[in-house]
Amino acid sequence: MEANEILAKAESLRNNLSTGFRDEIVKSLYTEAENIAKRAVKSTSDKKYDFDQKIDRLVTSPYTGLPIMLLLLGLIIWLTVSGANVVSSWIAVVLFGIGDYGRALFNQIGIPWWITGFLWDGVYLGLAWVVSVMLPPMMIFFPAFTFLEDLGYLPRVAFNMDWMFKKTGAHGKQSLTMAMGFGCNAAGVIATRVIDSPRERLIAILTNNFVPCNGRFPTLIMLATVFVAASFPPALTSLIAAATVVGVVLIGVMFTFIASWVLSRTVLKGEASAFTLELPPYRRPNVSRILYTSIIDRTIFVLWRAMQTAAPAGAIIWVLANIPIADSNLARAIADWLNPFGLLLGLDGVIILAYIIAIPANEIVVPTMMMVYMGAGMMINGPTNNTEIFNLLVNGNGWTMLTAVNLMLFALLHNPCATTIMTIYKETKSLKWATLSVVMTLGTAIVVTFLTASIARLLGWV
Amino acid sequence: MNITIWLVLTIILLAVIFIPRVGLIAIYKTYRIAQAREQVEDALKHLLDREQQGRHASPESLGGTLDMPRGNVTRLIEDMETQGLLESRGTNLFLTTEGERWAMHVVRAHRLWERYLTDEARMPLEKVHGEAQRREHSFTDAQLNDLDAALGHPTRDPHGDPIPTREGTLLKAEGMPLTAWQSEGPARIVHLEDEPALAFEQILAAGLRLGQTIRILDRNSQRILLTDGETEYRLAPAVAANVSVAALPESEIAKASAIPLVELQHDQRGEIVILDDAVQGFTRRRFLDLGLTPGTTIYPELQNFFGDPRAYRVRGTLIALRKDQAAQIWVKPI
Repeated sequence: MEANEILAKAESLRNNLSTGFRDEIVKSLYTEAENIAKRAVKSTSDKKYDFDQKIDRLVTSPYTGLPIMLLLLGLIIWLTVSGANVVSSWIAVVLFGIGDYGRALFNQIGIPWWITGFLWDGVYLGLAWVVSVMLPPMMIFFPAFTFLEDLGYLPRVAFNMDWMFKKTGAHGKQSLTMAMGFGCNAAGVIATRVIDSPRERLIAILTNNFVPCNGRFPTLIMLATVFVAASFPPALTSLIAAATVVGVVLIGVMFTFIASWVLSRTVLKGEASAFTLELPPYRRPNVSRILYTSIIDRTIFVLWRAMQTAAPAGAIIWVLANIPIADSNLARAIADWLNPFGLLLGLDGVIILAYIIAIPANEIVVPTMMMVYMGAGMMINGPTNNTEIFNLLVNGNGWTMLTAVNLMLFALLHNPCATTIMTIYKETKSLKWATLSVVMTLGTAIVVTFLTASIARLLGWV
Repeated sequence: MNITIWLVLTIILLAVIFIPRVGLIAIYKTYRIAQAREQVEDALKHLLDREQQGRHASPESLGGTLDMPRGNVTRLIEDMETQGLLESRGTNLFLTTEGERWAMHVVRAHRLWERYLTDEARMPLEKVHGEAQRREHSFTDAQLNDLDAALGHPTRDPHGDPIPTREGTLLKAEGMPLTAWQSEGPARIVHLEDEPALAFEQILAAGLRLGQTIRILDRNSQRILLTDGETEYRLAPAVAANVSVAALPESEIAKASAIPLVELQHDQRGEIVILDDAVQGFTRRRFLDLGLTPGTTIYPELQNFFGDPRAYRVRGTLIALRKDQAAQIWVKPI
């Protein structure tokens, strides 16, 4: 037969197929599989799902389901906050020690000050900061997250929360990608691959940034500790700080829902489409796999990406801080120029400058701010004691409660970091969506902080 | 100095206007051509539509459909006549063979796009028509063939209308004259023959419509007695011969004795009978992949505290479905 004849024959045969022939094919595959399974697998008793059912009843019931969810969220954040602080300072001591040693060595062999400064006080210090600030929370958060994932609990969260996502036109699995976003928004954006409908996936991608990532936790923790927890007894400090951060996170969740709702009524119009969610049986977590996935696949992967962007950012910061202008430096001059805009948002010029420099990596916002406030030539830890930080910010640089609150809001809502923007571009293959993700979040941050600042000033709170 | 600036500005301005392909004039021309093509194609669709309904198109009906003043309609008809797409005889307009071929192409594009938008892009049904309307005008035959193959050669669009084949023929309705229908069971009216007009008018006067489900109550040489469950219809055999009926699709019959999964009570088990015809493409594949095949036992196990979604145990796994999805799976309680 000629090729054309065969094609024509196929064409004519196709018209006689019943419409459900694809269903029949799948059905026969399943029947065949069942037969094979029956021959090969011997089951002594009918497997019951009693145990799973009991847990499921507990974690999805109206009275215990939501509290368990919030408790677990709070617990993970508290573990991260309190554990990370300690480890962070150890790592900082070691890494900054190496920096001091390297600087001394360079000075000894007579290398010009600006090369030493650029390399050790700029690039190296940027890296050291990111590693010491970012690594500890990730090493606590990612294993905890992977543990819940391995256990099979996370799909239950999606199951519990789906009604809310459905109302906003989104997909329940978005809650999983949001949970991932706590670790790293870029990782969260990649995690949206589990959502199989394009519209809902785009919503999840664009709103993922409203979940604060590890890189933004240090800012939130610092503010929560210095401005909120400081008025409580010292024993409660880490608990109150964690509770404050949980509060900020919940505000972020609220913005996620608002943004999803707005998106599915404007640019991503449509009703929620196909929703299927598998709730796997509970399994005993596999410790070695958890450690491998969380440390190698997630922590090291994210850290490496952050380091790539932190090194150039560190260099830029050093350059800005070391170009003298009048009796100050370029960083201070730019900050002064940005100050009116910053004040309009209830922030100040230094914070805006820190956020512009920190576009590659949000971790360095706090050290950059401290550096400019203190007029230093390099990122320094500044005061470590809470009272000293409070003095520097409030008495030295005119901070108020409004500045602290608005900085928390800005840290929560502002544009994604460079890595996340790149990831969004790669995942959507569209400049348009990447741009929208920036415009939407930055716009929200500016509008919200402007409103809170204006309201606070109108009511005479500040 | 000033003159140079003006000269440069003028040159730039002229370039922006006149440059071939990207200049303003070129853009405007492309736009006009696309506009004209859309008009012609919409006119062709209208004529084909009328022909399929067994009515004749006229300049008035065309102007009404395209929402166009009379003078423009006349010009459009003249243009299309010179292109050999239609003939006007008296006040009636007829498609030529070439016109019909083109019209079929547009209809095919429209319906394939509707299928794609519903099944793969999962756009809500009420938005699908408008979007397909925008997309139907700029595709070649080869592109449509690719789309057709990618969708698995669908035969009907989401509204149930047949999709023309690549040869440009509409699938013949596989019905038989009502007079030849012997079964007691229900049948669906698949075609109303419009020639001769007298018989057609009698059919319409009796109140029968396309797509109606009917059952024969009684027949003799004088008349055939039909019912749709509520009203009784009486037709002379000569007239009834012009009504084509076909057996109900299997899915309709299967559904009759089943309930949607969403209505299954908490302590009830069900056996999947069929997936609704409305579920096609991606969603259907997903359902089948999860093992939701006909004959499978399924029962609800876990209820979300807001009632939606609900998780069902099927083949040993627990799968959560929203109400909208569960309403599209038909089960028989067991």
